[in-house]
Amino acid sequence: MTQCSNPLALIAEITHRCPLHCVYCSNPLELTSRREELTTADWLRVFGEAAALGVLHLHLTGGEPLARPDLAELIEGARKSRLYTNLITSGIGLSRERLVQLVEAGLDHIQLSFQDSTEGHANWIAGARAHKHKLELAGWIRSHNIAFTVNLVVHRQNIEHLEEMIAALEALHPGRMEIAHAQYYGWALRNRAALLPTRAQLDRAVAVVAAAEERLRGKVRIDMVVPDYHARFPKACMGGWGRQLLLIDPAGRALPCHAAGVIPGLRFDNVREHTIDWIWQNSAAFQKFRGEEWMPEPCRSCDRRKEDFGGCRCQAFLLTGDASATDPVCELAPLHHLIEDAVRKDSVNEDAASDDALSNDAVSEDRATGSAPEAHNAPFHVLQEKMAGFWSYRIDPK
Amino acid sequence: MAELVDTSVPKLAAGCRWGGTVEAPVVLFPEGAIRVEGTGRIILELCDGHFSLAEIVQKLEAQFMLAPKGKIRADVLTFLEQLHAKRIVDY
Repeated sequence: MTQCSNPLALIAEITHRCPLHCVYCSNPLELTSRREELTTADWLRVFGEAAALGVLHLHLTGGEPLARPDLAELIEGARKSRLYTNLITSGIGLSRERLVQLVEAGLDHIQLSFQDSTEGHANWIAGARAHKHKLELAGWIRSHNIAFTVNLVVHRQNIEHLEEMIAALEALHPGRMEIAHAQYYGWALRNRAALLPTRAQLDRAVAVVAAAEERLRGKVRIDMVVPDYHARFPKACMGGWGRQLLLIDPAGRALPCHAAGVIPGLRFDNVREHTIDWIWQNSAAFQKFRGEEWMPEPCRSCDRRKEDFGGCRCQAFLLTGDASATDPVCELAPLHHLIEDAVRKDSVNEDAASDDALSNDAVSEDRATGSAPEAHNAPFHVLQEKMAGFWSYRIDPK
Repeated sequence: MAELVDTSVPKLAAGCRWGGTVEAPVVLFPEGAIRVEGTGRIILELCDGHFSLAEIVQKLEAQFMLAPKGKIRADVLTFLEQLHAKRIVDY
């Protein structure tokens, strides 16, 4: 058995219920129903066990976690177990009174997701009339002494509006902005042809973010997650399989990451039957790709294996059919052409060609230069260096 | 970025707090944590909203009498400004 360190963060998907229908949703295509969800007592026990094992952060997510009426109780229990509590929410259905209740229960951090800067477009992306309420909610959040992050999911349908979106979010005075490009799993993979930005769009987006970072230094911390399809090397997905994080789904199954359910043959142990400690040490699913034993060449002898831990197993499976294959994002991967093909085929900005001069430029520029990874890769490294001295739970693509 | 001056009162930013154990304390912040030890820990423990920058520097100078003049202040400034850019310390 491969030796393991303690997990640092627990992602608790407390429900799959959600009023939104985002086309980039990373939840599995088959969702857990309400009657299968863990009870309050189950979750509180899980939080205690996780904290005892060394977990510091709890990320309450879904679905929409507000759909759980016991959310305040869960937060209070997590704080009693000394966990740092983060609520990841669309904010839909969150009243001023309920926010007070959550803060009083001990909420440390709220992460509010936005879809676009203009209400019409935002509603088109999220499929619900959600945006106006969030603007009001941001004011309520700031009146409390908790950390406030706004999260934008970026993809080809909104990437040309990034500058406006950042400006609109800046007006909400968050402490942190997370600009997360959609990652291609679940619904996002199914919709990839409509979502994957072009290389030129991505490069412009990176420049826009760098400028915002400079302007907002000391006011807003900006973290960016780039789409790995345009990177040379894979992301250190989840900080390595079974190495820093564990995720519990609404029904209590313990997974090494959001998407692990897609990998055939993995059996996920349930917190209804086992402790978190037992699962972390013994669950076959966590051991499957932990460490380096499973690695094929070229990973096995590659110096980068200690940085990216072999990339993403789910992506390897989804794109190659083999969960042990080298992540095809890697330019050294035998099947790297799958990514090159996807970028060539899917990341074409046809939707904006007629109505947006900037987007037209993007198409022609992209076609003229093709992909020139060497020259374009500097921004990824800059992003990575900024994380020096810190460790982050989030995927941090190079 | 806000200027850090002698009268500034540095403190942990909203949503950032101490965690971990007594032996291995960490400062928790959204999406991460820093393990703090040595001087960093001493400085951050003084960032409780009660002391100005001048007072923090004074306390450290009293504790580390052998350090060259001015070095402690410069180090504290750099340290706190870095954490301010990460939105972990406010002043």
